Amino acid sequence: MTILYDEAQLSIASESRRVLDAQYDLERLLDLVDVTGQYDERIWQTAVEQGWTALSVPEQYGGLGLGLIEMGLIAVSLGAVTAGAPFLTGNDAFVQLLLAGIDEAAREAWLPRIAAGEAIGVAALGEGTSPLPPVPAVTFSNGKLSGAKAAVAGALQADAGIVWASSGGSPVLALVELDDTMRRTVDSFDNARLYAALAFDGAPAKVLLEGDAARAAARHALARMAVVSAHEQTGGAQQAMVIARDYALERKAFGQPIAAFQSIKHRIAEIYGLVELARANCIDAAASEGKADFVLKACAVRLTASEAYDTAARDAVQIHGGIGVTWQLGLHLHMRRARSLSAELGSPLFWEDLLVSELEGVGA
Amino acid sequence: MIDLETFRADAQAWLATMVPEFGRDARRGISDEADLALGRRYMAAKYEAGFGGIHMAEEFGGRGLSGLHKIAFDSEEMELGFPSGYFGISLGMPIPIIMKFCEDKAWVRERVIAALKGEEIWCQLFSEPAGGSDLAGLRMKAEQDGNGWKLNGQKLWTSHAHIADYGIIVARSDPTVPKHKGLTCFWIDMHGEGVTAKPFELLDREVVCNEVFFDDVKLTDGQRIGPVGGGFGVAMATLMIERYVAGDADGFGPTIEFFMDTARDMDLGGRPAIEDGRIRSAIARNFALRNGLKSIRDRAFLMMEAGMEPGPEGSLSKLLSVRSRQKLSELAIDLKGGDGLAYDRDAFSKEDWVASWLSVPTGRIAGGADEMLLNTIAERILGLPQDHRPDKGVPFNQIPA
Repeated sequence: MTILYDEAQLSIASESRRVLDAQYDLERLLDLVDVTGQYDERIWQTAVEQGWTALSVPEQYGGLGLGLIEMGLIAVSLGAVTAGAPFLTGNDAFVQLLLAGIDEAAREAWLPRIAAGEAIGVAALGEGTSPLPPVPAVTFSNGKLSGAKAAVAGALQADAGIVWASSGGSPVLALVELDDTMRRTVDSFDNARLYAALAFDGAPAKVLLEGDAARAAARHALARMAVVSAHEQTGGAQQAMVIARDYALERKAFGQPIAAFQSIKHRIAEIYGLVELARANCIDAAASEGKADFVLKACAVRLTASEAYDTAARDAVQIHGGIGVTWQLGLHLHMRRARSLSAELGSPLFWEDLLVSELEGVGA
Repeated sequence: MIDLETFRADAQAWLATMVPEFGRDARRGISDEADLALGRRYMAAKYEAGFGGIHMAEEFGGRGLSGLHKIAFDSEEMELGFPSGYFGISLGMPIPIIMKFCEDKAWVRERVIAALKGEEIWCQLFSEPAGGSDLAGLRMKAEQDGNGWKLNGQKLWTSHAHIADYGIIVARSDPTVPKHKGLTCFWIDMHGEGVTAKPFELLDREVVCNEVFFDDVKLTDGQRIGPVGGGFGVAMATLMIERYVAGDADGFGPTIEFFMDTARDMDLGGRPAIEDGRIRSAIARNFALRNGLKSIRDRAFLMMEAGMEPGPEGSLSKLLSVRSRQKLSELAIDLKGGDGLAYDRDAFSKEDWVASWLSVPTGRIAGGADEMLLNTIAERILGLPQDHRPDKGVPFNQIPA
């Protein structure tokens, strides 16, 4: 289903963008590319001050109790500026899994801290190439986790994780406090994503959910992460398109702006098509949470948003010509982010398969 | 005004009762003449049931409801394959134009009702051999002749001209001014002296298009629509009326579900093709694209309902959906292997891959070729410059041929 954004939502969209634009610092973002473990603390401080960390936390735990639509709008703004603080999506999944779980004490311990920006959480669901393996190899027994999870965005700085694991043949979601012994830093082409693989060797953990309930919650959390991330991708794609358009209007060759050449203007018009499909699917998916086809809609938006961002970033560089491939211009930040967001939550190959399974009525 | 959901339910209920007489199965294998006659009967029944001029003004015999009601009805009707295609252009563009521009309201009302009932058909004579995408480059001559006018020249691609009773035509009334400024619009009697419509076959042997020849065709000045030299503006107004159309995310071809049925039925390497990753990829990509288009369309409806102007992204529908249909049709034929070679001449494009594939190139050209749509998106939405146009500002008769 689709909706029209209401006044409050439109104001979240414009206000978040205004705040982030005012703080945009290209040099800082370029610095973050090459080093591991660092992120843009100023942007994250802003996120906390603006209440974005509290957005999806229920009011009883000190949050704002808003939904996926609002979360998505913040993600669009963060995506547009290739924000160097990768916590929005993981935090939100952590919150959702705590809310789905049975452990009220864990909620009381973590949700107010998440809302206040005092703690960062992640969901560690994926292993190998699957963002949600049907039978996870990480095991949980006697209150302890063992085994390795795939790289998770934000994990280098996260305080706690909710881990998809197997316990005696049945899946569980287990809450674990993270420390440096569990993190395996990934030196990435987009280090501001703070990727770390997690390795557990008897780490103490608490079960939040098990069996079918755990499976349903993990599936929902993954779909929700895909939708938030797709908004971020769409924000990035839209921005890359605008950058390309502005440059094509300004840059002259053969006596006219290069935007007057159909090879350029049609390329930008094609990007517009991809961006609008992604945006339409974002709204549709965010408004479909709680409905039977939510996972299907998450697959659809994940595919269109990944394609839109990759294409917009790739073509924006191409439209710029030589200047587009320089370090200093920073267009590669969009190129990098398009790839990292596409790969980090299960690639389009996974989402294609899941989409068809959903259509067939045999979803994962 | 009747609320949209009640109206939609009424429409569904009525349409369901019409399926035995007018549905795809009733049309299969009958002659073109019989199909047109069936179409006229359907239009008469539709008018009687109050679904004829849904969003047209009551003074002209319409029902005075909103454009949304019209779209709601059309999208329900489209699924059923009724023989309403002969009347789409007639009611979509020429009829609104005479309602808007012609002063003899009694005459207009007669024409509107006759067209709604399928008794009369109007065509739109715009494109020519030398002017399709470049509409203002047309050469059809309109010369002053006593108190009236005289037409000479040729139109091309005119849909349904051979079954039309009337037409709206744009002609060049002054070749000494720049091309957009020397055009004038008229309505004409398609049965009048000197008008010859010659239908021709498209590549799938469908007979819709015509070349239409004009040989000293006499018109009164009362047949003029809009001011002398104002023809381009009238033509543009015609195209703007098309705002209220029910787009189809499937590009007027088969659905994704239909493709999945095909993929389930066919064997690929010893297993159903739907288990093959390449096929799954195609299903997923096309579903995601069409889901986006549906969301854009639904959002446009919500905006119209709220009294807002829908966003410009609605212009993507035809461009993206028809391409999707073309590639998926090719893939489906490949998938069927030897079976894909068979051709059923009576099949409808919404339920047959070969029929869909053969008729889809028309969809990428008619109503704005892909390249023109990309130009429009680039120029109108994104603010990119127009192409270099050597004929700009040059009197028509001095444009190098």
